[in-house]
Amino acid sequence: MLVGSNITFRVGSKELISDISASFAPGGLHLLVGPNGAGKSTLVKVLARLLRPQTGTVEYEGVDVSQTSEAELAKRRAVLSQAIEIAFPLTVREVVMMGRYPHFSGRPGPTDEQIVDEVMEHFDVTEFKDRYYQSLSGGERQRVNFARVLAQLWSHSAVDSCRYLFLDEPLTFLDIRHQIDFMKRIRSFTKDADVVTVGVVHDLNLAARFADQILMLNGGRIVAHGTPAEVLTTERITHVFGVEPTMVQTTDAGIHLIFN
Amino acid sequence: MTAPRRQLLLIALVAVTLLVLVASIRYGAIDFSIAEISRALASLLPGRPEPTLDQRIFLELRFPRAILCLLVGASLGVGGTLMQALFRNPIVEPGLVGTSSGAAFGSALFFVLGGVFHIGASLWSLPIAACAGGIISTYLVFLLARSREDGRASIVMLLLTGLAVNALFMSAIGFLSYIARDPQARSITFWSLGTLSGANWKSVEIVALTTILGSIVALRYAKQLNALMIGEEEATYLGVNVNRLKWIILSVNVVIVAVATAFTGVISFVGLVVPHILRMLGGADNRFLIVGSALTGATLLTLADLIARLSVRPAELPIGIVTSAVGVPVFIFLLRRRQYVF
Amino acid sequence: MKRLIVLLFSCVVLFAAGCARFHNAPTDAKDARYVVISPIYNEIIWALGAQNTVVGIDLSTTYPPEVKNVQTVGYHRALSAEGILSLHPTAIIHDNNIGPPQVVQQIQQLNIPMKTFTAKNDSFDGTKALIREMGAYFHKESRAEELCNTLDTQRAASLEKVKQYTDHPRVAVIHFGRASNVYLVVGKGSGGDGGGVSQMIELAGGEMAVENTGGRGMQRMESPEIIAKANPDVILLTDYGYDRLGGSTDQIKALPGVATSNAARDNRIFRIEESVLNYFGPRSGENIAKVAEIIHKK
Repeated sequence: MLVGSNITFRVGSKELISDISASFAPGGLHLLVGPNGAGKSTLVKVLARLLRPQTGTVEYEGVDVSQTSEAELAKRRAVLSQAIEIAFPLTVREVVMMGRYPHFSGRPGPTDEQIVDEVMEHFDVTEFKDRYYQSLSGGERQRVNFARVLAQLWSHSAVDSCRYLFLDEPLTFLDIRHQIDFMKRIRSFTKDADVVTVGVVHDLNLAARFADQILMLNGGRIVAHGTPAEVLTTERITHVFGVEPTMVQTTDAGIHLIFN
Repeated sequence: MTAPRRQLLLIALVAVTLLVLVASIRYGAIDFSIAEISRALASLLPGRPEPTLDQRIFLELRFPRAILCLLVGASLGVGGTLMQALFRNPIVEPGLVGTSSGAAFGSALFFVLGGVFHIGASLWSLPIAACAGGIISTYLVFLLARSREDGRASIVMLLLTGLAVNALFMSAIGFLSYIARDPQARSITFWSLGTLSGANWKSVEIVALTTILGSIVALRYAKQLNALMIGEEEATYLGVNVNRLKWIILSVNVVIVAVATAFTGVISFVGLVVPHILRMLGGADNRFLIVGSALTGATLLTLADLIARLSVRPAELPIGIVTSAVGVPVFIFLLRRRQYVF
Repeated sequence: MKRLIVLLFSCVVLFAAGCARFHNAPTDAKDARYVVISPIYNEIIWALGAQNTVVGIDLSTTYPPEVKNVQTVGYHRALSAEGILSLHPTAIIHDNNIGPPQVVQQIQQLNIPMKTFTAKNDSFDGTKALIREMGAYFHKESRAEELCNTLDTQRAASLEKVKQYTDHPRVAVIHFGRASNVYLVVGKGSGGDGGGVSQMIELAGGEMAVENTGGRGMQRMESPEIIAKANPDVILLTDYGYDRLGGSTDQIKALPGVATSNAARDNRIFRIEESVLNYFGPRSGENIAKVAEIIHKK
């Protein structure tokens, strides 16, 4: 369980997020939505402990995470961001292996090698393993990054502690097919009972389709937190985003939003 | 390239370095045969007759020069790798980014002030002065070139700032040459083009210490430098304390390059060319690169010194001319390949 | 590396009896081999006819033309110990103007004899003393006396010729310092390298236009005021500095302060060999007339 309490984060005199409290249970996909500047990305970075809030605490399994060392944290917390820029010739396998860095010092062991192979297989990037990351397309690169992040969190043994996956707008630069493919993979990963997954996406339809819980932010504050049906109401969306949606309900896949 | 192949490559590099070392101690204004070299070395043993002049030339001039050349080449090679990892751009090296000229300035200033204030030149005071100069100039560039949010220095800013800082410190050296009484400080050619003619065992000791220690420290952080390649944020998520890493690597980088520069003057382009060759051969893993660039840098600089000593013998070319003659075309070639993120 | 040394050492032990190949200098003490690092010393040695003993010269030695046949060891302030020693000299002759310092140290530590002559060629008398001192060193005493007499005769003749000129042009001499990579103006009076130049100009019937500051003899052209205040009638550039600008009058006039001078206006800017003007030597007697001719050219 990931719990954030009374989090405020300021840059200079501007408060990016104000007094936010929320908890995120494992086993489901939590998505943050909101207009530009709402503080979604900042909140994710605070929860992932990249940023330190001026006030408030972040707890992983009841432990205040500000006391944990970087190295320790890296073993069970991973962040998938937008596509990264690499200026050096790294092969796909080398990039994925970086996910295992928190788990070994010196050279990778056979476990690490095996995990990397498995994870590349899982994301269909094994065929690329000796190609340079720079030579891949956007969609292929994100699959590689996802593989890396997963390698960081991969656990063979019986689960000893909860793991935390954060997604900071990972769908940017991906086309629609890859976006949906991605969300499906994330969904299947998060079904694992011991992973807390918190992500930021822009597309409300994707959020509606794939999220178990939605946290809507506006102006650095929580506007609503609940299931998609609870949160995504016409009035709320109109008020927060400034556009009026038409809601369409389908039997299998839930809510769809159509904007004029 | 797989790990075993990389190891083979490193072993091959060691062999090449040794070969080149042998050539370096054999050939020059005077050529020594293997027999003569053995006799010279044998003369060091107790009970042997005093060494002849030629043997002394070998023991006191040629041999330390060859070793110093290896060490300086290694430190410049490693310096290039570290700088490229730090700035996350493959088109930088200590010469372009102001470290060498800052170190040269520190050294020149030491000679000038040393004359004025009668500071005794203890063995270590010169290298320390060089480090101070190198730290100031590198930090200046580092600070001025960080214009992007992700903290990565845009390569254009880096090169331009490096250009400016280089110009600043080289003109400062010119000014020192102007006011200096000390003949060493007055020789601006020495500083700007570099030479190994002043090599002696004392300088070998000092440079060996900094180069070897510095490389060992760098190797310990190689894995973290790898992580840095995919971004500062990403590296943090992988458990790296990025700020601490930067400071440590920057310091190691400056120290090994500055100390070498204090004894040989500014030698450019070695740090640029060497990591590139290695990346082409064996990929971008910093563990491989650090060891490989030490060896390749040592080899290349020794070859350059051979050319400097043989091409117009018995006179000598300043070694900076040779490294620039090779390095500049390579630099231009790399720029034009357009594989770099600017 | 250690293994290599051990291996080599074993080979030496095995072949110690056999190998007797030496790469070294002739052990015959009568064979004098000198590396001479000074243009004036070399000029005098050639004039004395002792050039067979010279095995190495410096880059700045250019007179007489026969020096081309001798190996050069490089620029006198950027020497290499090994390079010099590869010629197996019995002594190194220099005029206290060699560098870099660590190379000088290396040579000293190897106990190579280094020789400087006490007499200095800063005047005619000094030059004669130097010629005689060098004559004694190279066992060419009679030739040395001949040179001194010639010097006196030619000087007298030149001074006679100089009397024909009625004007005393104000002359500025610009020299290019290679170690410091800048142009220098020679100041009037004694001190530093400027002493010789001043005397030559004055003997040739001219007047040094630029005052001497700081007693250094030569100063950098850092401000246009130096030349502008002096406003010389004639400007002389020594050969290297002149050739460096391609002899282009435009580029010369671009040097600080030159463009506004009388010399620039009248186009009285001339090239002169450093060896003719800058220091006294065996040819200085006749050089006075040469200098006079140049500075009085209209």
